[in-house]
Amino acid sequence: MAMIPRLFPGVLVLLLGTFLLAAPARAEEFEVQIHHTEVLNPGISPRVGDVLSFVNHAEIAHNLYLTYEDGTVVTLDTQPPGTTKRAMLKQAGHVIVRCWIHPIIRMEFDVAPH
Amino acid sequence: MGDRAQDNRLRRRAFRPALTVPFLAALCALASGLGLAQAGRSAPPELAGEAVRSTKAAFRRPADTPFPGTNPFSPEKEALGKALFFDPRLSRSGSVSCATCHNPSLGWTDGLPRAVGFGMEILPRRTPQVRNLAWAAAFQWDGRADSLEMQARMPITAPAEMNMTMDLVIARLKAAPGYAPLFRAAFAGDDPLNAGNLLAALATYERTLVSPRAPFDRWIEGDEAAIGPDAKQGFALFIGKAGCSACHSGWRFTDDSFHDIGLAVTEDVGRGAFAPPSVTAMQHAFKTPSLRELRMQGPYMHDGQLPDLDAVLEHYARGGEKRPSLSFEMKPLELAADERRALVAFLQTLKAEPVPVALPHLP
Repeated sequence: MAMIPRLFPGVLVLLLGTFLLAAPARAEEFEVQIHHTEVLNPGISPRVGDVLSFVNHAEIAHNLYLTYEDGTVVTLDTQPPGTTKRAMLKQAGHVIVRCWIHPIIRMEFDVAPH
Repeated sequence: MGDRAQDNRLRRRAFRPALTVPFLAALCALASGLGLAQAGRSAPPELAGEAVRSTKAAFRRPADTPFPGTNPFSPEKEALGKALFFDPRLSRSGSVSCATCHNPSLGWTDGLPRAVGFGMEILPRRTPQVRNLAWAAAFQWDGRADSLEMQARMPITAPAEMNMTMDLVIARLKAAPGYAPLFRAAFAGDDPLNAGNLLAALATYERTLVSPRAPFDRWIEGDEAAIGPDAKQGFALFIGKAGCSACHSGWRFTDDSFHDIGLAVTEDVGRGAFAPPSVTAMQHAFKTPSLRELRMQGPYMHDGQLPDLDAVLEHYARGGEKRPSLSFEMKPLELAADERRALVAFLQTLKAEPVPVALPHLP
């Protein structure tokens, strides 16, 4: 019985360490700002599962969409001024962000595997 | 936010230099400055001066015409493209050229509410003018072409328009002995008379069609007498209260954006035909046209449904038909009669003296 209390802290540390090593990396959120028809690309290097948050600082609405390498298109809703839309990155590879309303908007980046 | 995001915040770069927040602030300042001037007051001189400078810079014409690296300019290509543009042999009937609808005598359009296609059929949309397309980001009223080269094929092969196949066009041009030397002069290769080169030449010629300098340009460059006080008031309204420059921006007076502006609905859903159904904003959305060289006698809009500028201004004052796809930028506004006159006066300053166009001698 006396052994248990002495062993407990060590076991706890071991278990905690194992959990931390096994747990997936926490998803990150990258902020991308939009000013009028200009997307300020922060030069992101995201991974699958990370989230992009597009903040519309423009005085006009946008309607962004992401095109993955395999052609999958993910469209965000119409984004009035002052609003933020989020997109979780679902696939690794090259991604192009465009706007249905403003074709002049274009941002490209690569998504690393999780 | 993690380390990657922290790093990323330090490495921002602009992908598309366009209207920026400082510029928009300058627009507002200029608008209010001009408005104050109209009311007999004056804006703070240092603010007005800086606002005027930055705003004028945003509307200043570029010095050079851009050509893509994949299809660089050459005089030989331009000459070939011009011949092709005016050659009716590009149509199945042999009677319709690009210039039939994009007629230089009518401002590179046809002056009709809607285009006339193959078999004299009335088409759903108005013929757009073709100047200043070297700077464009999207082509066709619905933006379904990403480049002028891609666009050039569409009317030639559309059954309702010129109703041709590219193979048949090439066969016809090969039968006309004069074309082979023009293609050889413009392009390298063993067999340069081909569809890809034909479209490249047409696109090159179209990129050379640039609006001449208008009174507005001279005002932007510093000639205060180039436009009158009514036009200056109209410009202040245009970039201020009326909000026109939210879309009709830059020296071309368009940002090539797509909007449902609440016109009377037809079966034509515009860009909505190419966007997922969930993209409500693209239903009945059409490209913002340039306002340079505007035909003051109309008709206007993608299908010519508004006959004159009075109708256009009234439409924008009412704010368009309310529906889910209506553009966020469409809001009702009060426009007094003198303000409407000022806006029209301003639009007239975007019109240059016509430049004579020499017709090509076709092979």
